[in-house]
Amino acid sequence: MAASQPLTSSIQPTDASPPCHTPRRINIANHCPTTDEVSAIILDPGYSSVRAGFAGEDTPKSFVNSHYGVSDAGKFTFGDDAIHNPLAGLDIRNPMSKEGIVEDWDTATQLWEYAITSRLTSFKQSDPRTNGLNDPSEIAMDVEEVEEGERTLGEHPLLMTETAWNTTKNREKAIEIAMESWGCPAFWLARNSVMAAFGGGKATSLVIDVGASTASVISIHDGLILKKSVQKSPVAGNWLSSQLRSLFASTEPKANLVPHFDIASKTPVDAGAPAQATYRKYENKIPDSFRAFEEERVLTEFKESVVQVWNGMGRLNTVNANGVSNTDYVKSQPGRVFEFPDGANQMWGVERMSVAEGLFDERAALPIPNEPALTKAQTIPEMVRQSLAAVDIDLRPHLLGNVVVTGGTTLINGFTDRLHNELTAMYPGARVKIQAAGLTAERRFGSWIGGSILGSLGTFHQMWISRKEYEEFGVNVVEKRCK
Amino acid sequence: MSSNDVRDMLDLPDSGSTRPAKKQKLTAPRPVLKGLAREIQNLSGDNPIAIVPEVSAFKKKRYGSRKPVAKWEQKPFKNSARDGDPLVLRHWRRKEEKPPAPPVGEDGNVEMEEAVAPIAEEMVEDSTFAKYNVRVNVPEYTEEEYNAKLQNQDWTKLETDHLVGLAYEYDLRWPVIWDRYEPPLPAPDSADSLLGLVLPPKIRTVEDLKARYYSVAATMMAERKPPIKMNSAEFNLHEVMSNFNPAIETARKKFAEAAFQRTKEEAREEESLLLELKRILARSDKLNEERRELYARLEAPPSTGNIGIYSSSQGLQQLLQQLMQASKKRKSLMGSEGISPAAGPSQQASFERRDSSVRESISGPSGSNNNKKGPPPGPSERRQLTEEEEKIYGVSHHERIGASGAAFRHEKISKPLISKSSVQQTKIANVLVELEIPNRLIMPTVEVGEAYESLLQSINTLLDARKLADKLDGEIKLARQQKEEREKAARLERGEAVEGDEVEGNNKTEKEKSVARSVRGGSVARSVRGGSQGHKRSASVLSATSEQNFQRSKEYRLRH
Repeated sequence: MAASQPLTSSIQPTDASPPCHTPRRINIANHCPTTDEVSAIILDPGYSSVRAGFAGEDTPKSFVNSHYGVSDAGKFTFGDDAIHNPLAGLDIRNPMSKEGIVEDWDTATQLWEYAITSRLTSFKQSDPRTNGLNDPSEIAMDVEEVEEGERTLGEHPLLMTETAWNTTKNREKAIEIAMESWGCPAFWLARNSVMAAFGGGKATSLVIDVGASTASVISIHDGLILKKSVQKSPVAGNWLSSQLRSLFASTEPKANLVPHFDIASKTPVDAGAPAQATYRKYENKIPDSFRAFEEERVLTEFKESVVQVWNGMGRLNTVNANGVSNTDYVKSQPGRVFEFPDGANQMWGVERMSVAEGLFDERAALPIPNEPALTKAQTIPEMVRQSLAAVDIDLRPHLLGNVVVTGGTTLINGFTDRLHNELTAMYPGARVKIQAAGLTAERRFGSWIGGSILGSLGTFHQMWISRKEYEEFGVNVVEKRCK
Repeated sequence: MSSNDVRDMLDLPDSGSTRPAKKQKLTAPRPVLKGLAREIQNLSGDNPIAIVPEVSAFKKKRYGSRKPVAKWEQKPFKNSARDGDPLVLRHWRRKEEKPPAPPVGEDGNVEMEEAVAPIAEEMVEDSTFAKYNVRVNVPEYTEEEYNAKLQNQDWTKLETDHLVGLAYEYDLRWPVIWDRYEPPLPAPDSADSLLGLVLPPKIRTVEDLKARYYSVAATMMAERKPPIKMNSAEFNLHEVMSNFNPAIETARKKFAEAAFQRTKEEAREEESLLLELKRILARSDKLNEERRELYARLEAPPSTGNIGIYSSSQGLQQLLQQLMQASKKRKSLMGSEGISPAAGPSQQASFERRDSSVRESISGPSGSNNNKKGPPPGPSERRQLTEEEEKIYGVSHHERIGASGAAFRHEKISKPLISKSSVQQTKIANVLVELEIPNRLIMPTVEVGEAYESLLQSINTLLDARKLADKLDGEIKLARQQKEEREKAARLERGEAVEGDEVEGNNKTEKEKSVARSVRGGSVARSVRGGSQGHKRSASVLSATSEQNFQRSKEYRLRH
């Protein structure tokens, strides 16, 4: 009897696996018959953080802040442990542009290398002549050592993600770094929106990604982005932070945004009362970039705990069936209290909803000084409309039935409910189904998880750009292969 | 069933790895068990029962069965789907126990790298996923073929090449092909650019692309293999491709687009309209159905059966009898089920009572049915209702409905007639015929009926009286004959010749003789004393004579 016969572990379950053309949601913890792991590393860089980890795992092992510190002496510090230190000359920078693509390649390379080597592989020195830390003329090293240094990722194929609007130059630079600096045996460059769709278990989907620097809406068909449907706007986490700053500036009394490192001690005060705190004194001036970075942390906390998207029917300023405007309704509801680091606290009522309303309604956005007003095309519903208008009509109902929501900013309270309301109002004839991961980590690391799934698939091995191909065709092989 | 069998069934190649042979079954005799344990062993047969583990040594066995730790290694593999690319990746695989065969160096002077490379190549196994690599077939054509067959005003060869390339690259995913289609700029040395007439690239719809691709594919397909030689699948594909109509597709998409762009109100309105339409259709269906039925009735063919037999009242009665018979049969069928359906609601309440009544009815008709009017309980187990229940169910009994159930009133008239035996009936009928009174009354008014009844009564009395008279007549005759016999005998004794009597005929004397013989056993006195017994016997003898006398006596009686 087959049942009584013990399963010998030498029989690989991979042998009898069904054909799997499109990656689907897999239980990564178990040994899935469609997986064949080759210890590939998935690198998913973003504006706010870099995610890196081994393919086949469910969360990235390495999660590093994209911001890095540069000391007066030009020393770079990476990682959350070091960059929150209020040092005199510590300048906080970000290698990524506001659009989420790499600007400063030298530092980005180091940052990613730090993300990979600090948690995933052992620390191996990269070539001191090319890592940008040294003056090449000063260094004279053995050839042996250089060879050794080149093998940072010698055993690991690398799967990197990129935005849909990444430039050709950047893509070529990425493969160059992977192949030349890190010595990867194989490389692949995947769109993060496609990866997010895979992470949501879809091959065809409308990916709504609201991250830190950009919000994007992209239609994916069978794991390929439709380039004409790419829509992006700056209405994302950083924009929300600036909304909050505008809000704090306009409230009475003015809410004072003081970061944690400035506070020595605080005493509890009543709501609305001025703060009673003792402030730290620093002998040397703390750079503005560091202050802004630390303020951003407070704002993140505020976003996580107070900000909410109006998730009832209609928009925040529409009048409901009872003749009461939604704004008035929210005003009648209890607000939320937020205590700033200096102890000042205040009840936030309708404001906590109005700051996020601009995501969906450009007229409700608060004006930000020195920045152009939000346009209608930048709101999320309008981006969805534009994106869908740019794809074949046969595909649209499909896409609306497979909306994948990803990115940290989508974790704002009520975001998916509101999105669903907006989409059903826009397309009453279609069935709208939103796939939004319930777990915070899955929503934040959606594209990394998709990469993890893709990288561990047995059928993906034929896709890798191998070192030989790179040597044969040069850097533009990435344009040819990674469509 | 082992995995080998499964492989066999699915036509899978045998997995190269040799599986460890099945463990030899321990054939050593099991220890002799006693008592309960042996019983259990007998029950279970060869397979040991899991719930009675035989643990002789607690931990020893565990150590004994432990295999050496499985060794795993990072095994290199290649993927043949990579078009000969020598990318070798590594994955964790169980280390094979058998040591790899030592590399056989053919030539000692071969350089080290070259010697290692081919061996490594051989060793590296292929990925099991390579077989899933499938590509679409796109049409291929040469320059001449294109010029001869595929010329198109709208499409340059460059564009066609680009389109076919995209189709191959994106596996005929048309939305993607359309998305990525960027018409290539004509080569700088082409005629257009020389004339400076670089046309802006045409914006092509998905339908344009599809139409072009399908036409190229269909043409090339027919070129490679004439449609006559194609198998059905190929031919169908060819037909589909060559019949592609971009205009219809465009119209369909326009329609779909319009449906997609509907506002909420429009959607709702359409929904309600659809509902209304459905309702109208349903109603019209019903109407049509009714109309058809009506027509069918109007055009019904005349009944073929002869209804003449039912035109008379007798025929009707016959029909009624038939129907009654049928219904009775049905009733008896229903009765056989035991409990009448009327007993439903109060079944539980009167369960005991019913039980007892059933027993009563079984015990016989002599049971206590005295308090009940109406029909006595038949053989069927119909439950008896108490007076209360009768009141509840509204059961009422009618005097004039007898045991035989409901009947026509006119049957009452023929009842006295029917209740008699057939001999009597004929007698009565004869009397009536004689009196020229019809069998059935022509004008059955109350008086006539009463008169008729009294007539029948008197006929009955008459017949009874005649019977009696006949009997007496016969007895008298018998007595007279006996008397004559006796006298004759006395005369013979006296020696007188018999005179006169002989004339009556031999026939009669013979019969009388036999009678006399029968009577002779006992004395005449005894036969007279015997009363009714003697009567009966004599009656049977005299039945013939009474028939003869009938006419006579009747005349006599009617004269009175």
